[in-house]
Amino acid sequence: MAISNDNEFKTALNKLTVAQQRQVASRFVGNVLPLCKDARVSGAVTAARREDITDSELAALFQAAKSASVESFTQCGREADWLAQAGHFVAEAAMACVKAAEAGDNLAWDAGMSARMARTCETIAGGAGTENQEADAQYRILTEFLKQ
Amino acid sequence: MSASLGKGVNVLKEVIDAPIASYFASCVHCGMCAEACLFYTETGDPKYTPIHKLEPLRRIYKQEFTILGRLAKLIGLAKAVTDDELEEWKELVYNSCTLCARCSLICPVGNDIVYMVRKFREGMALSGHAPEDIINATRRTIEIGSPMGVKLPAVKAQMGHIQTDTGLQVPLDQEGAEYMVLLSSMEIINFPEYLSAIAKIMKQAGKSWTLCSTAFEATNSGIQVGVSDLAKVIVSRIVDGAERLKVKTVISPECGHAYTALRWDGPNLIGRPYTFQVQHILEVLDEFRAQGLLKTEGFEEDRLTFHDPCQLVRRGGVIEQPRTLMKLVAKNFVEMPDPGKMNWCCGGGGGTSAIEDAKDLRLEAFKRKKSQLEAVKPDRMVTACANCRITLEEGLEHYQMDIPVVGLTEVIAEHLAQPAQAKS
Repeated sequence: MAISNDNEFKTALNKLTVAQQRQVASRFVGNVLPLCKDARVSGAVTAARREDITDSELAALFQAAKSASVESFTQCGREADWLAQAGHFVAEAAMACVKAAEAGDNLAWDAGMSARMARTCETIAGGAGTENQEADAQYRILTEFLKQ
Repeated sequence: MSASLGKGVNVLKEVIDAPIASYFASCVHCGMCAEACLFYTETGDPKYTPIHKLEPLRRIYKQEFTILGRLAKLIGLAKAVTDDELEEWKELVYNSCTLCARCSLICPVGNDIVYMVRKFREGMALSGHAPEDIINATRRTIEIGSPMGVKLPAVKAQMGHIQTDTGLQVPLDQEGAEYMVLLSSMEIINFPEYLSAIAKIMKQAGKSWTLCSTAFEATNSGIQVGVSDLAKVIVSRIVDGAERLKVKTVISPECGHAYTALRWDGPNLIGRPYTFQVQHILEVLDEFRAQGLLKTEGFEEDRLTFHDPCQLVRRGGVIEQPRTLMKLVAKNFVEMPDPGKMNWCCGGGGGTSAIEDAKDLRLEAFKRKKSQLEAVKPDRMVTACANCRITLEEGLEHYQMDIPVVGLTEVIAEHLAQPAQAKS
């Protein structure tokens, strides 16, 4: 079944195991990864796809992605650079990919929302309006994943 | 004397009002304000003693408003304030003062040292000695409506994102709504989860609310740089928006200085009382709780502490509300040393976080917060100011302390009781 709205999207994500959520989350982030040049972020996203990843590796990758996220915050009073801010949200999305999961977490949803924020920031930077198709792209990514 | 210096010195003369004159006259040189200032305690450098940061202003006071000072000036024994001196003082008046008001609170003779610093900043700004970064933030606020250059389309983009995330509408320009919600640019850019939390809380409370297209920004860098005319323009936008939409209450966001500027300075800046009430979001949340409109479920199990934003506790008296709210959702809430009205600043307030070359000093000052945290070893830290939040994140990252920082409003929103239908 093709996913076509956020209700179906969230419901489908909720049914995934944590390992599957990391797989899907990394695909969501992969779609916006060109917006972030930080190697710590791409490293975390790539590693999140590995099925044999250990808890200690996840912890180290999370810390690295978090550092990238903190360093890319826009400080209070500084002029917003929306492209740089897009990179910040990619880092946030990467954190969700490698976060230690707790009960009730939906890592893939969190990664997806941050990835959408990244795309929103890109469109604001471009001045071409604020509508973007990232949600549709994520529906397609999840639909393809569920077919596998 | 350069034209700008002459203007600045004249302004400094003008800002020396009765309170400032009495503060200088009553200072007993005890040095207690030094021990209250984290820039002094963490560096040990006596130049960061709060009252010393006002030395040029004190000299102008003495030379212009005391008999001995006037005589000394007359016979050429008084040292005039110079451009070079004011330039040297820029670091003391801006980079190393967050307007946290701890010095004002601790002064045994009741001198409001922060009031004096703010007045001094007025002269500094007019004599061309305000930091470029804060000037630019103020210019952007006047020209664009936000110190960080956020425009309405960006706000609408976040509104759309939140509507997708929560399934809830974010109202814009709803005339007659009970609450008008303001945001800081930081929340629009870095923390969209704040607006998301507001949407959820208002829905549960059954309250009408709105954003305002002509006044979404709460922060007031005019106050921080020290230009009252510009601060007035910024406040007036909010007043005009609130009165146009006929709201009962304007909610100041999780931002300390925005709250002080709007709630305490605003009516004085515009020269009349507001036709609406101003509350900080934590005051609103606690009011909802007391009225039975804020129903939560479940508890955070990890060890949480609360960082008090200076402007909330020392200027606003918002001390008990965050603690009541924390206990609503946290089983293991611990206080850092010196909690509440004596809490130590994060080091980023008063515009310092916008000043690029203040970063090293800010991180040095962060050692105080570091030691507070080491004393209680929390798993997470909660606060209610977006600027504190970024400054805390920056300091924690620098000192390799793994303590996530979250906003109290979003923590509350995560614990909102779900209707039975939603649970099933």
